[in-house]
Parts: sequence; C-alpha cells; structure tokens
Amino acid sequence: VPMGVLRLPRGPDGCSRGFSPTSPRFQALLGGDTVAAQGARAALRQRYLRGLAAARGHPTQFCLRAGVRVDAVFGAADVEAVAFQVDALRTPLGVQAAALLRCADVLAYSFLL
Amino acid sequence: MNDWQRKSPLDWETYVNKMVKVAAIEKHEYEGWVLTVDPVSASIVLATFLENEKVSVSVVLGHAVQEVKILKEGDDEMKQRLSCIFAPEESKAYSPEEHEKRKNDLKTWLETNHIPVTEQGESGRTLCVAGVLTIDPPYGPEECSSSNEIILSRVQGLIQGYLEKQQ
Repeated sequence: VPMGVLRLPRGPDGCSRGFSPTSPRFQALLGGDTVAAQGARAALRQRYLRGLAAARGHPTQFCLRAGVRVDAVFGAADVEAVAFQVDALRTPLGVQAAALLRCADVLAYSFLL
Repeated sequence: MNDWQRKSPLDWETYVNKMVKVAAIEKHEYEGWVLTVDPVSASIVLATFLENEKVSVSVVLGHAVQEVKILKEGDDEMKQRLSCIFAPEESKAYSPEEHEKRKNDLKTWLETNHIPVTEQGESGRTLCVAGVLTIDPPYGPEECSSSNEIILSRVQGLIQGYLEKQQ
C-alpha cells in the first residue's frame, strides 16, 4: 500500500522544502566561495555547533520582539536556523513542557556556563 | 537580509576573539568577546566572564544585528581561554600533557591496527579516523562524533575495549 506524502505547511521562509535556493548556504554549496572562505565557514560553524551542544540543558533567557523576555531550558536548534526547541518554557499562561520558538521572533538568548 | 548577514565568512572570522559591541534592533546592545559567528544565520556568539568564575554566553541572532563595533583585540591568553569555553566537561579533569599522551597512545594503537588516523583542528587536538569520524579530548567513546552510525558504533566499541585493556 503506497504511503501518502504528508505535505507540511509552508515554513516561515515561504519555501515548504525548508531549504531556500537563495540562501547564502545554498549559494556556498554551488561553489561560489573560495577554499579559504569555505575553510573559515567550516571552522565558524563547528564552533557554533559546539556552542549549541554546550547550551543544551541550561536555563536560558530568550529576548523576543517588543521587549518580551522568556525563560526556558535550551533544547535544540535546527539546521536551517528556523526554530529553537526548548523545555519548561515559562509563559504568563503557565509552564509549557516543550515548545518551539521561531528564530525570526528571537532577537537574542543567553545562558550561564 | 541585512549588511551583517551578507558578509563573507572571512569577514566574520575577523571578529572572532575580539571584544565587540553589538547594536541590535529595538535598541538592544550587547558587549562581549566573540566566540564565533554562525555562517548559516550570521548569529554572533559572545562570551562575558563573570566574577564567580562563570561565563555568560549570549547569542545575538543575525537578523537582529544592526552594527558591530570592535572594541579591542584579545591577547593569546584570552584566545586560549575562549577556545576552552565550549570544551566538553570531562576534558577539564586532565592536564594538557595527559591529553597529549592519551591522544598519542590512542593514535599509535589505531595505526597498529591499520586504522587510518590523522590529527586535525586547533592545535591538532582532534583525531580524525578514516576521514569520517572525529575524536575529541579526553579520547573516550563518548567523545567520538560521526555522521555514519555504523562506523561510530564500531569505533566506540574498539576504543572501549582499548581503554579496558589499559586499566
């Protein structure tokens, strides 16, 4: 029995495939960058990923738009920087056990090590 | 996309290990040592050292960045300090000499068993096995990373056996 294909709603970037062809990442994949630039990109990205791994499980304060600040426990980030997954998000309506925060809504976040 | 997001990775790299002031939208300002800039989102990762030996890490998302001003350069000691912030917890239990010895012992053992291994990364701290798996200090099974699960579990098993034989 053939499986139905689940078409999820369009992501915030307007492209339901989740990987925008006009993004800098895709342009770099096409080979527009020099070897040095690609090396820098890789080193920077590796440090960033280690940072995300270090953030996991730490209480984090997210600074959203319009002066809104929320506290949560950092869970994970996705590859395309579309959203953050957090645990124990404190909202005026109570604590959400798990939640997604859109990257477009987040201005900055910070945690202690 | 703003000007900051349009910069090249070589540009972003020039900000690493520098103390900067980031002006963000909605009049927010952030100051700290630049640990890295994520090439995918252009997010700036800043570190601030607090008095109680803790480090406050702030990440300013790329789309929110308006202006980045360099305040000062980090010296070698600061660069060393910054590169250790995201190091895995366990590696702080060993001294650099012990790490070096563990790394060399493991590398020799892998080579003796005809497993291709090279050193890479900053100061050669990371071992790279067959070009697809990396091992960080302190070179135990938990410090292995790979995108290939089969190779990962095989190598983890090998290292586990190797460490058990050492005890």
